Amino acid sequence: MLIKPSINMLVVENDIAILQRCRELILNEGHKVRTAESVGEALNIIQKQPGDVDIMLLSLELPGWGGMTLINILKKARSEILIVAMSTNCGEEAIEAMRAGAYDCIRKSFTADRFWTKMNRAIEAFRLRHQLDILSRQRQSALSKVRHGENLLAILQSFTDGLVVTDWQTHIVLFNTKAATLFGLTGKNASERPISECIASDELFSLFMRAINSDSSLASLMADEEPVIKIGERALRVHVYPVKNEGGTVIGAAGLFHDVSKISAMDKLRSDFFSMVSHELKSPLSSLLMQISVVLDGLAGELTDKQNDLLGKAKEKTKGMITLVNDILDYRRIEEGKSIQKIERLDLAEILQRTVELMRLSAEEKGIAIKCQIAEKLPSFSGDMSGIEAIFVNLISNAIKYTLKKGTVKVTLDKSGKDVQFKVVDNGIGIPPEDIDRVFEKFHRIKTEETRSIGGSGLGLSIVKGIADAHNGSVHVESKLGKGTTFIVSLPIEE
Amino acid sequence: MKKVLLVDDDVDFCEATKILLESKACEVILAHDGKEGLEKVRVEKPDLVILDVMMPEMNGYDVCVVLKADPELSKIPVILLTAVDQAIFRTTYTPHMGLMTEADDYIAKPVEPTELVSRVENVLNKD
Repeated sequence: MLIKPSINMLVVENDIAILQRCRELILNEGHKVRTAESVGEALNIIQKQPGDVDIMLLSLELPGWGGMTLINILKKARSEILIVAMSTNCGEEAIEAMRAGAYDCIRKSFTADRFWTKMNRAIEAFRLRHQLDILSRQRQSALSKVRHGENLLAILQSFTDGLVVTDWQTHIVLFNTKAATLFGLTGKNASERPISECIASDELFSLFMRAINSDSSLASLMADEEPVIKIGERALRVHVYPVKNEGGTVIGAAGLFHDVSKISAMDKLRSDFFSMVSHELKSPLSSLLMQISVVLDGLAGELTDKQNDLLGKAKEKTKGMITLVNDILDYRRIEEGKSIQKIERLDLAEILQRTVELMRLSAEEKGIAIKCQIAEKLPSFSGDMSGIEAIFVNLISNAIKYTLKKGTVKVTLDKSGKDVQFKVVDNGIGIPPEDIDRVFEKFHRIKTEETRSIGGSGLGLSIVKGIADAHNGSVHVESKLGKGTTFIVSLPIEE
Repeated sequence: MKKVLLVDDDVDFCEATKILLESKACEVILAHDGKEGLEKVRVEKPDLVILDVMMPEMNGYDVCVVLKADPELSKIPVILLTAVDQAIFRTTYTPHMGLMTEADDYIAKPVEPTELVSRVENVLNKD
């Protein structure tokens, strides 16, 4: 409310006749009025009811503490009160009062007209001051809002991570300096434009769309995801969060970009190192395997039983090392997300048949029978050939490894709902219940009296899981200690 | 007696593999880099070439491509051998690599000797 309708007045005058006259004139005009006969009385009224006095009519001829003292006090403590002085002559004292802050001076010998000419001007002045005050207070609060926003912006600008905020239509509404450098954004080309036009990445666009269209439960799930996307030369780890208003409605999305290019370069270095090392390991191992095999086969002269026995063990150890190197390479590839190299239409039955035939020899050496049951007319399946083979080889060779002599390994391949299901059932030593949840962890190997002599890298099952995951499939295990284990791999069929 | 040319820069591997294949009634000639291999193919006209992929001078893929482009030599079967991390399954024939170089078989190192022998016999008995 800008205009104050009625004015609260205080008349301070020790001459009762003048006091009464002022009071009557004011009341006749419909304003409120209080009276005081001394400075002390006036101060009492002002202090008790702050804000209750708008205009004070003050005699400059009060006994004791004079009117001037009151003017000086009020200018400091209650500057909003407009003071109109009254004196008999309006001489030097009036000039002094106005210099101290009084608005005007009225001669005490006033007529009603004269009184109101002066008073109306004072009321008008008061109202203007009041409006000005309100306006400036409003401006003050708006300013503080602006300053608040500026602070926030300064904080966002100081982030070493890039930040891009869009509205619900994926139009960019805000971005910080780092984001500007990362994506080459400028105020001109980015403000209010769709993010897909400013940053060329379908992956990023879909992340923003997902954040905007997500309900809260999905959003919290997504927070765990930290995809790394490539934009130009840079690798960026991205978090995109929905932005909600006070009512909880999603009104946009905020993306945070952490530059991991340096870390990615290190990863590449590590990966190259891995390839180099494994190649340097595989070459001598393949010579070693060939040399030992040739000697064992008696191609370099006849062997004594003892020599045969020792070399046989050396060959097993060599093969163990070869498996380990291959497992490390396979696992690394899955970690790098390269477990699917090439998607093609596969004849699962044929691949499984071939794998089983290859494994049959080593199974029979241990006196284990492999039974293979493949459903006729399996639906067509697309996947990565070497990946699927790795699943078959790992699970079947595990079953053979962990089944003692004269056991049976049953392999089945069948359709189950919308999946192709590959199942390996053995009647081997089984998995202790406390280990069952950890079998897919890398390097986790079950240590019991029975498994001590069985070699392995502890990577086989994590490889199987990695490949199944990459095909949107799953691996499931059931086991009874001493009775046997069943592994089931479900791979979805294309629609 | 079938004549096999084995091209591999690993001398130990060559020596042992020579003994293995000789035991299967093959005559085995050795070469230790790609260039030498190519020269020996032209001179010896073997029945089979076993080519390691990672070799100095000229790698196995390139030797294979040259062989397959030469009308006089293109009929000679080629088996590629490599320790390079190619396929998860060690004894998988990778159609992609085979097509690229028109090799007749593809074996990942290290290879079980019995597996090598059966692959070699397979290719030799094709016609």
